[in-house]
Amino acid sequence: MKLGAWSKGLAVAAAATLSLAACSAQSAIVENTAVTVAWNQPLYSFNSSTSSGNATANAVILYLTQQSFNYYDADQQLIDNEDFGTMELVSEDPMTVKYTINDDVTWSDGVAVDTTDLLLNWAALSGYFNEGEPEYDEETGVIVPSDSSVWFDSVVYGTAISDTELPTIDDDGALELTYTVPSIDWRLNMTGVGVPAHVVAQRALGIEDAEEAKQAVYDAIMNSDTETLIQLANVWNLDFDTTAMPAEADQNILVGNGAYEVTDFVEGEYITLQAREDYAAGPAPSVETITVRYITDPLASIQAIQNGEISITQPQATSDILEAAEALGDAVTIDSEPEAVYEHIDLNFSNGGPFDPATYGGDAETAKIVRQAFITAVDVNEVLDKLIIPLQANAEWNQSQVFLPGAPGYDESVAANGSEVYGQGDAEAAMAMLEEAGVETPIDVNMLYASNNTRRVNEFTLYQAQLAEAGFNLIDGGNESWGSLLGTPDYDAWFFGWQSTSTSPLGAESIFRSDGGSNFTGYANETVDSLYDELSTEFDEAAQRELLAQIDAELWNDAYGITIFQFPGVTVYDSEMTGVSTSPLSPTIFWNYWEWGIPAAE
Amino acid sequence: MTRFIFKRLGIALGVLLAATYLFFLLAANAGDPLEDLRASNQQNREELIAARTAELNLDVPVPVRYFYWAADAVTGDLGTDYRTGQEVTEMIGKASGQTLKLIGFSSVAAIVLGVMIGVISALRQYTGFDYGVTVVNFLLYSLPSFWVAVLLKQWGAIGFNDFLADPTIPPLALLIIGGVLGVVVGAAVGGAWKSRLIVGGTTAVLTMAVLAFMSWSGWFLDPSLGPVVILILGVGFALAVTFLAAGLNNRKALYTSLVMAAVGGIAWWPMQMAFGYTDGLVAFIQLIGFIVAGYVVGLLFRGPDKKISARVGAITGGLVYGLLWLDYLMSWWLPYTETSTINGRPIATVGSSTPQLADNTNYWVGTIDTYTHMILPIMAIILISLAGYTRYMRGSMLEVMNLDYIRTARAKGLPERTVVMRHGFRNALIPLATIIPVDLASLIGGAVITETVFGWNGMGKLFVTALREVNTNVLMGYFLVTGVLLVIGNMIADILYAVLDPRIRVDA
Repeated sequence: MKLGAWSKGLAVAAAATLSLAACSAQSAIVENTAVTVAWNQPLYSFNSSTSSGNATANAVILYLTQQSFNYYDADQQLIDNEDFGTMELVSEDPMTVKYTINDDVTWSDGVAVDTTDLLLNWAALSGYFNEGEPEYDEETGVIVPSDSSVWFDSVVYGTAISDTELPTIDDDGALELTYTVPSIDWRLNMTGVGVPAHVVAQRALGIEDAEEAKQAVYDAIMNSDTETLIQLANVWNLDFDTTAMPAEADQNILVGNGAYEVTDFVEGEYITLQAREDYAAGPAPSVETITVRYITDPLASIQAIQNGEISITQPQATSDILEAAEALGDAVTIDSEPEAVYEHIDLNFSNGGPFDPATYGGDAETAKIVRQAFITAVDVNEVLDKLIIPLQANAEWNQSQVFLPGAPGYDESVAANGSEVYGQGDAEAAMAMLEEAGVETPIDVNMLYASNNTRRVNEFTLYQAQLAEAGFNLIDGGNESWGSLLGTPDYDAWFFGWQSTSTSPLGAESIFRSDGGSNFTGYANETVDSLYDELSTEFDEAAQRELLAQIDAELWNDAYGITIFQFPGVTVYDSEMTGVSTSPLSPTIFWNYWEWGIPAAE
Repeated sequence: MTRFIFKRLGIALGVLLAATYLFFLLAANAGDPLEDLRASNQQNREELIAARTAELNLDVPVPVRYFYWAADAVTGDLGTDYRTGQEVTEMIGKASGQTLKLIGFSSVAAIVLGVMIGVISALRQYTGFDYGVTVVNFLLYSLPSFWVAVLLKQWGAIGFNDFLADPTIPPLALLIIGGVLGVVVGAAVGGAWKSRLIVGGTTAVLTMAVLAFMSWSGWFLDPSLGPVVILILGVGFALAVTFLAAGLNNRKALYTSLVMAAVGGIAWWPMQMAFGYTDGLVAFIQLIGFIVAGYVVGLLFRGPDKKISARVGAITGGLVYGLLWLDYLMSWWLPYTETSTINGRPIATVGSSTPQLADNTNYWVGTIDTYTHMILPIMAIILISLAGYTRYMRGSMLEVMNLDYIRTARAKGLPERTVVMRHGFRNALIPLATIIPVDLASLIGGAVITETVFGWNGMGKLFVTALREVNTNVLMGYFLVTGVLLVIGNMIADILYAVLDPRIRVDA
């Protein structure tokens, strides 16, 4: 009996490690190391550049399986990854960017990564060949494969990448992309090669040989071969969507050029990634296997970490969850770091309400004093103390409208933007300001927020009490469909969170420009507009930060509104793990996967 | 009857139509599907919002939008999930499979246990056992499921896994477990105080002895039964089955079942070989083989009613195979717990399988892995749904046992076993048979909380996720499937009632 069990044990262990055993010694991969990360939403597309595939759930996995020219570190600095290739600005007028991919970069199926991949990614992202409008299924809303016109369903279609000309490829295989409209975000517009061109062509055109397939893509793009492009676009749009391990014949959609490759994917349960050996396109990974388990319930992820089923989790931060995690003692480490979402109060400049100059017969100065009084009376510290500090002890007031705390340029901007006089709950000063301006109190302010969000309901209660002392009567305008009500004349003020997805200097342009698409407040300041004009052609980063700081100062000077706090985030991980760090921007916890360490299993 | 069915179908269709319309209004107004885009500062935010509005027809008023959906639903096209592009029919197919696996198992267990406890508690009406069962029932019934689930994880998984690191039961725990079990069994047996004391006491001592032995021998780390234990347990099963189904006086039936118990003990050696080649299908064939063997043995022994002997033999055969199967499964426990991915902590708190084990496993390891993941959610569902069945069965049994024909049966000298099992129990099952189809149909809807807490991807979780994302297509697909099943379940219950109870007429 004993011997039988022992031999079975060997058999299972051997079988279980068979796939892991083939590791070579030359790489930094530590054998038999495995990390399991809890995540809340399963991957559903291996192409995160389509409008439907553009989600964090996909991006975090693709960060492990696809490499790129650069990545964000924990301090929101954009780091160049020269192991993959280089991206350089060769000329500012006409603006030309040169992309070079290193020779030893390969796809996980052995095919070389080259400029044809980049070319397809450009064609897809820019929508250069897109014709007409896409056709969506009447009812289901899915894009219908087209047989008559090219449509790459790119999530960035219409942004800077679309203002480019057909690239040229020089003899060394470098790709040169010329912009018709200069874009200072050239580092962010196209950061990688996207999905493998040879796989797209193999699937679309039925070509077996990888090199032939690449050639077909190259020819189709360079010769604007609409027939072929239609087929390529249809594959690019739809074929990379999957919610489980694809059938053998379709597994080429998993091909990546990153540090890990997908070895198992069970619908709704987990995805397993294995470190690649023949990988030289970036920092060498050390953990052999990374499994991402999909757990939606935050408390379940805490209990799973206690039971040793997972090693890292980033549960939604609530005091209950934090308490449960703290109860685990030294077995886990708890890191609290802010996320890239920041809460802010906006004031409506154009609804004939208390913050609109029109109310005071066009007296802009009076309206500005009312706004200043409003944000003077708000007590940011009380909100932080009561709602955020319990979840993140080191939480601080976010004092900039354009920089995230910790981002390069934030400190300099805050030092000079004049925000320090606001948000301290100085009701007396606010009263005095209103009195001096001759505005009658109480002033009714109808305030919109998400009434189905507990934290926001609590926030409103705090604001209401704070502002009542300064002569503002906050009317509860909480609404579940707040999103569609932003900017409607019924509301004088509102608060919600903006989600930052990149550190692009132009990230907030559409909010603050007088004609910006997300400008709900009706804010119009010619100085801000012209600063943004200047910024859009300024390539020097120091100068960019200088211009942004000026915009920030303008916004505070105009009492545009007030920023409050960043959403608190919490990371709980097994104390045996080393090197865990989190970045406020996607891919959060995964950003430095190559620095992770965990003791190897016996 | 045909007229009745058609009439019911017609009504059901009308109800479904109205219900889907109402539900669509609710689902489409459950939130804002554009919320994530509204808070995003992507540079082409406007275009993305416009595209999704066009995709989901958000510019069409909700009461009209329903007809877009209905027109496609009639043709069998339930649309897709707007976030992932998955077909709703496919999503529901997968989710209901998971739910069936979970709910199916726990429902059967809850029904069997509930019926058993209900019958015993009815037969021991107004005794300590009856009151005890009632109190425990209401306690379980009133427990919130998310809380039960979290406690089960804390003790059943984390606690048990910690226990496995050093699996010795402290003497005090031994005494408590044995004592409680003794009291429960003593109370359930009934009869004179003396016999109850003897039975209860024996149970307590035996339990303590067995547990002490298991603890001492490290049984929890490397469990097994072995041929001797299988033989002893087999004889126990044989006696119990014969007592319930035929009465111990039926010697031929008793011999049949005892022979099957002996077969089980002896078959242990050849089965060690056979199990090495077993997968799910083979196991099923083996089970059928044992049942048929028992049936044949029964026929050979004949007795006053050869069918009774055959039935007893078949049931015993099936149970004995279960023991053999379990014993072999146990022999894989140690290798399973020692793999690096399990690492000595076998009972899982989330998911339905262990990552990286799935590919490299055989039928036995796979089965263990499935059960280590299912045991906690199953227990949670059983604990909560047990009470209903127990109370229902108790009431039904009491009602039947007080009827005139039971008195008549007793008066004509039938043994109590026959009165209870054949005349009482069978008739008491009729009302239960009419609530089970409805119960099962509503259970397909999923145990929302249990599934979410245990990370189980069934219908309940599908519903919650869809609701959070205001995914109208998925919500409608879910509602349609559960609604149709509920209507069918109701109809089956009606028909079943008429079939089982000849007094009921279902004239339209």
